[in-house]
Amino acid sequence: MLSNTGNFLLFINIFLSFLIIYNSFKCLKIKNNLIFKNIYQISLLQSTLILICFFTLTSAFIVSDFSLITVYQNSHSLKPLFYKISGTWGNHEGSLLLWVIILTIFSFLFLIYNKNHPKNYRLHTLIIQNLLILGFLLFIIFNSNPFSSINPIPKEGLGLNPILQDPALAIHPPLLYIGFVGSSIYFSAAMASMISNYSGSLFAQSIKSWVLISWIFQTLGILVGSIWAYYELGWGGFWFWDPVENASLLPWFAMTALLHSLLVLEKRNTLYFWTIILCLMTFTLSVTGTFLVRSGILNSVHTFANDPSRGIYILVFLSLMIFASIYFLFSKYKPTNDLINSNSKETFVLINNWFMMFYLITVLLGTLYPIFTDAISDNKISVGPPFYNSVIIPVVIAFLFFMAIGPQAKWIKNKFSNLRSILLILSGAIIINFAIVYFLKSYSLISNLILISSLFLIMSSIFDFFKQSKLSFPRIVSHLSFGFLILFIGLNHNFSVEKDFNLKLGEAKKIDDYEFALLDLKLSQENNYKAVVGKLEVNNSNTMKRRVLYPEIRIYDNPQTLTYEASIQTNFLGDHYLTMSNIDRSEYYNIKFQHKPLMIWIWISVLLLSFGGFLSLFKNAKNN
Amino acid sequence: MRFKILLIIFFLSLNINLYSNELVEESKIHKNLRCLVCQGQSIADSNSDFALTLKMVVKDLIDQGKTEAEIYSFLSDKYGDWILYKPKINQGNLLLWGLPYLALIIGGVIIVFLIRKSSKKA
Repeated sequence: MLSNTGNFLLFINIFLSFLIIYNSFKCLKIKNNLIFKNIYQISLLQSTLILICFFTLTSAFIVSDFSLITVYQNSHSLKPLFYKISGTWGNHEGSLLLWVIILTIFSFLFLIYNKNHPKNYRLHTLIIQNLLILGFLLFIIFNSNPFSSINPIPKEGLGLNPILQDPALAIHPPLLYIGFVGSSIYFSAAMASMISNYSGSLFAQSIKSWVLISWIFQTLGILVGSIWAYYELGWGGFWFWDPVENASLLPWFAMTALLHSLLVLEKRNTLYFWTIILCLMTFTLSVTGTFLVRSGILNSVHTFANDPSRGIYILVFLSLMIFASIYFLFSKYKPTNDLINSNSKETFVLINNWFMMFYLITVLLGTLYPIFTDAISDNKISVGPPFYNSVIIPVVIAFLFFMAIGPQAKWIKNKFSNLRSILLILSGAIIINFAIVYFLKSYSLISNLILISSLFLIMSSIFDFFKQSKLSFPRIVSHLSFGFLILFIGLNHNFSVEKDFNLKLGEAKKIDDYEFALLDLKLSQENNYKAVVGKLEVNNSNTMKRRVLYPEIRIYDNPQTLTYEASIQTNFLGDHYLTMSNIDRSEYYNIKFQHKPLMIWIWISVLLLSFGGFLSLFKNAKNN
Repeated sequence: MRFKILLIIFFLSLNINLYSNELVEESKIHKNLRCLVCQGQSIADSNSDFALTLKMVVKDLIDQGKTEAEIYSFLSDKYGDWILYKPKINQGNLLLWGLPYLALIIGGVIIVFLIRKSSKKA
């Protein structure tokens, strides 16, 4: 029954998309600035029905209707209700439906919230957005239908991968999707802007809020994914430069660049085509990311859903998108008079874009290069964290300095009268860095420079806070928290302690300042898994602190999987992180202990970063 | 004068670490080696048999007095370049290592060019 309802709703939605496109073209022919009332109505209906369609799937998950292949493959009747619901988007088919929901709702909201912009521009945006919606609806129906039924109906489902049964991962996809699917609306708007010749600062104003919304959610989505990887994957890291993580970072770079160049377009009416390119690039990169993740051509820890046939469809879709973008760019391109003075705010925005493009190209290249070398030659290579760190980190240092100085520049023309205060702040940064090195431990040249530059950014932002008007508050919050983010990552990286050793029950071991003892092993039986819980005592002879940590080895029933749960003790100074794993044919357990200073501050910094975006959104909404 | 003091402090903070870098860092090597039987993990993060064996091999090589570079070339001869997370800088990987910086340079040139052009007009 639910299968039929769902399929029916999908077909209705396809029909509605066609209807909207048809009506929009009809409306374009009429020479006034009014949009047909029925276009609003159909759009509203379209959004409502796609939501109902999604709830149909959710209810199939809740009642464990295993007549649907998707439910059978990704759920289990004994799973907790919360994960039954999050299971709706925890798989390829369901997540595509979520994808279409965001495309549709953004389409509707963009239509109703831009009433003071010209009809042609709005209708073209609507048409292009509906073409995107159609593309994905067809993909769902022909290749990845969540409502496909199975016969005979299985008695029990296969269950959801246990490492996905987690609160952070339940909210991670929706956040990330609002981020990168949300970018579709300014892809459509950019195309529409070229088609209807609606350019300049008014265009910038019409998409600014949408860029901010997607940026905020993308940032939060990445944050939640990162927190999840930190405690669930059990390696104590929070960023692995893994291809799937990179896929979420690529649109973020493009969005961040766009966010800045949009300011120039809005205030100074220049850089129009560059801004358009960034709009198109952001969504293209989002689809590219999806292609890489879902086609399974990448070797990644996060590969949960892949299948080559999906890849081909997305690749065709992606090629069409890129082809259309390039076609319109070339046919509409006019050389513009972009007046950029050195030392002006425009220059610094360009510098931001310059670095963002560098990060983007590096990460894109690092992600794709292994695929190409594998295809062209037999030489299979890996590109991992050491590559990204060594290419990107030195450049970040210069980036942070520009980020600190840039906002102090004025539009059009600026004179640097404040060289003295810059030197003063720099001295402060160097002295604090020296204190850190002196009182704690030694570290490398690059680390020194990272710390100095991030301190420089932090202090400059704080000075700005007292000097500049209230209007720049959102920007100061974001820049300040980015400075803190890099500072905390730098400190965390340099002062982390890692110990890796084997221990058996009742044994104790002393390594440097630490003494470890495996006091106890307990078996426990939970709802959907069994667990071996270790009791480990950690004594620090330096601080005389005693800690007890309880790492787990879990054996999940459906599907049968072994996972290692880290035991983490968090406080404001740092995390103590411990994982335990069994060694085959031995009574010893492998223990990994880490002390990760200031961990929680890394999360807080990113949260503040997105909060800055939120403040900016609020400010923007108030102004318009 | 103040500037000189600052410079001295800056270089002092750099000098402190000169001693620590002489040791071959075992954990750094572990992080650069892919666990070939896992999915996207380094041997530092994995405790598969393969990772445990490889860690012992690395320890042996360090004890033999091999440098970091020698250890990498030994392992990549044996297992292929797939095992190294930081690809070698050679002809095949020229694009990978070079293109980001090339893009950085080109981007800088474009910005300078734009500013020059604008200042002529103004």
